[in-house]
Amino acid sequence: MTTLETGTVVGAGLDRVDAPLKVTGSAQYPNDFSLTGMVHAALVGSTIAAGRIRSIDVTRAWAAPGVLAVVTHLNAPKLERGPMTLLGGSPPAPLQDDRILHYGQHIGIVVAESAEQARHAARLVRVEYEPAEALLDVNDPRAEIVENPWGLDTERGDVTAGFARADVVVDEAYTTPDNTNNPLGLMATVASWHGDSLTVHDSTQWPHNVRTSLAGIFKVPESGVRVLAPFVGGGFGAGLRVWSHVILTVLAAREVGRPVKLVLTRPEMFTSVGHRPNSVQQIKIGATRDGDLVAIEHHGISSVAMEDDDYEPVSYCSALGYACPNVLTRDRQARLNIPCPGSMRAPAEGQGNFALESALDEVAHAIGMDPLEIRLRNYAEEHPILGLPWSSKALRECFTEGAERFGWSRRTPEPGSMRDGRWLVGYGLAGVSYPFYQVPCQARASVRHDGSAYVRSAATDIGTGTYTVMTQLAAELLGVDVARVRFDLGDSDMPYAPQAGGSGLTGALGNAVHAACRRLVREFLDVVRDDTESPLHGAALDDVTVTDGRIHRIGDPAQGETYTEILTRHGLEELSADGRSTPPQSEELGMALSGAFGAKFVEVRLDPELGLLRVARVVSAIDGGRILNEKTATSQIIGGTVGGISQAMFEETATDQVTGRIANATFGDYLMPVNADVPDMEVLFVGGPDRATAVGTKGVGEVGLVGLAAAIGNAVFHATGRRIRSLPITIDRLML
Amino acid sequence: MKHMETEAPPTGQSPPDVSQVDITLTVNGTAHRLEIDSRVTLLDALRDHLGLTGAKKGCDQGACGACTVLVDGKRVVSCLALAAQYEDREITTVESLCPSGELHPMQEAFARHDAFQCGYCTPGQIMSAVSLIAEGRANSEEEIREFMSGNICRCGAYPNIRAAIRDVAAGG
Repeated sequence: MTTLETGTVVGAGLDRVDAPLKVTGSAQYPNDFSLTGMVHAALVGSTIAAGRIRSIDVTRAWAAPGVLAVVTHLNAPKLERGPMTLLGGSPPAPLQDDRILHYGQHIGIVVAESAEQARHAARLVRVEYEPAEALLDVNDPRAEIVENPWGLDTERGDVTAGFARADVVVDEAYTTPDNTNNPLGLMATVASWHGDSLTVHDSTQWPHNVRTSLAGIFKVPESGVRVLAPFVGGGFGAGLRVWSHVILTVLAAREVGRPVKLVLTRPEMFTSVGHRPNSVQQIKIGATRDGDLVAIEHHGISSVAMEDDDYEPVSYCSALGYACPNVLTRDRQARLNIPCPGSMRAPAEGQGNFALESALDEVAHAIGMDPLEIRLRNYAEEHPILGLPWSSKALRECFTEGAERFGWSRRTPEPGSMRDGRWLVGYGLAGVSYPFYQVPCQARASVRHDGSAYVRSAATDIGTGTYTVMTQLAAELLGVDVARVRFDLGDSDMPYAPQAGGSGLTGALGNAVHAACRRLVREFLDVVRDDTESPLHGAALDDVTVTDGRIHRIGDPAQGETYTEILTRHGLEELSADGRSTPPQSEELGMALSGAFGAKFVEVRLDPELGLLRVARVVSAIDGGRILNEKTATSQIIGGTVGGISQAMFEETATDQVTGRIANATFGDYLMPVNADVPDMEVLFVGGPDRATAVGTKGVGEVGLVGLAAAIGNAVFHATGRRIRSLPITIDRLML
Repeated sequence: MKHMETEAPPTGQSPPDVSQVDITLTVNGTAHRLEIDSRVTLLDALRDHLGLTGAKKGCDQGACGACTVLVDGKRVVSCLALAAQYEDREITTVESLCPSGELHPMQEAFARHDAFQCGYCTPGQIMSAVSLIAEGRANSEEEIREFMSGNICRCGAYPNIRAAIRDVAAGG
């Protein structure tokens, strides 16, 4: 492995390369595309949560103006379920029978000449149901329970013996509600068939998955399916799967023989593209009077759909976070009549960390220890599960430097002891150990005759800055000015890229780009190997470096030449090379692969008479490995922090417990922070490049969110002496 | 606005529930004649009928601000406006901000401060921000926070959005 040499381009806070497109409104998101002859679709959703369709009458819908097709389970073709993916099984194929498994299930699609006509006609579809009693409560004893769904339950040491020697035991239930991803971009699909070839514009975080899935479902060659997503209006996990509406749009386009556009409505976004499922967690932590953790037992149960999968090992964080000898973690899922949950920014970690880091605060309070001290005292110097040294870990610096920046030492320990006028003031903190994730990825790099570089991969940039950081990385690795590098993504015809998810894309793609660029330089050296006119002839890759559009011998800049000179002399238009990355392996490296780490420090202010809770300050100290662009990485942490504040204080998807209908499926009712709710915040990056990969990044897309809920809850406790163990921490919970 | 004669429906079909309208919209200084379904919103008229896709649809319920355009200089959520009601008004969209290709100072400030991530809410944020300054409501941090609270940014770029607006308000 050749480790990336640090230059001036990587790390710099370059403005986003796609900024001009975004600020002028000319970046094209999937629902901005209009094709010649395109018609529009609207969905029909079920209005019960469980049962069967007794009858479905489409006569009036068919007769409505402009209607071209109405497809229901009565006339839909047989569709295979999509394939097994890196993230588990695909969602069930739509319209395959008369069964209803959740409220809002797509039971029909109407196509008409205009969007207005399609929406109108969809409302004319008359459905009679044979309802059954819906299972909607995660605690419902009748629900089928899936034990250890991902094989990630852990057990080390002997928790019973550990608790027996604890001086203090905290044993509490923490709950988190359903949250809905709600990227601002309404998810859209524009599908167009030409014979067996299919082109799809889709709000996806993973174009290749859409390609593979649609090819399988519609039984056409994968090579004929092209999926485009150059810009996506956010995702937060909602675009990781090939959901029912995507399949239905493609089906509708085939039915009518014209391009079809479907844009989900905001209420449909609550039932069609996943959500963070609720959780009930029982966490028990035992400690000595001196603050040594002697046992942790963490049980989590999450809700999941009747016939679908979701990855939410909420208790796993308790196995990873601290050096405790006796730990047991257990996860279960309860199958309910709910829309399919799915990953939402920091799946599982967002929920589990709330319980772990809050309960740890409870332990610290019980033994009279500073919450910062108990975390440092139980610091995991080695990976607690594998017993291996970390590939990188600067969590200690996150805690200490974050505390310094925040002014943690000003905190007086007694709850309610800090005031500012009528406001009660509380300080809280939480730690985060985010799990490592990386999967294989490919990229292709070219240098053209004019000396410009073109690098591409079928990844997506959902706002994370992928366009920008990969441009910087390629510029550094090829020694080409950043303005002369173009990085393209969002097209399934490009080399394979995995999903933008799991905080894993930057690592996977960055290392693929690294490999492609290194190989490309080697291609140039191969061209001049026997070229005596070249000062580089006979040079090996390790003998040279690149700068200012030139390859030259290390230590002797005069002994080199430009890409253009080499291409010209050899009559070549361009040279290209492919690169791939594969995830590093702990066993081979003798190191535990590290994700990002973080420490979150929060000051809250609470009006004790009105119950008003405000986040006044946040300091996030993050070990994200190598930071490719300080500006966009900081934005990732700021954005994650806003998501964390939102999880802590705002978001709760409310399901009516009789009908299964989501009662607040609009932006008027589903609360999220607006500008006035969010303070200015500080972000510090600590640590250095991770040792496990050439580029040395650790994903920063999710670590920003995790820990805020606990830190805010801990700060509320510090301000008031009241421990809120159910999210979100809203005025009613504070005043009761 | 003129209601158009609707064609008699083919036998067996129910009559159309709505009529077509013939309207003229003045967008970014140019008048456009449109024959559209009377239910078409101003946002959909801009996006689907005039090809101006800068204004975005985030909720279609007037709650997120992604569709913000200016009507006679005032901020309007165009998803809650029926196109047919906006004849004889001056409609301004994000596409008008840099006619010669040079970015408007607010656009530059948004780029410099990384005041967006996915970029979907950005045209609406920028139209709001430009209007905020024109309205004289960007005089303090509190004012900016309050009067930018009609524009949701799910990526959470709020602190950077404020920094961009402060910069422009200060003449930066």
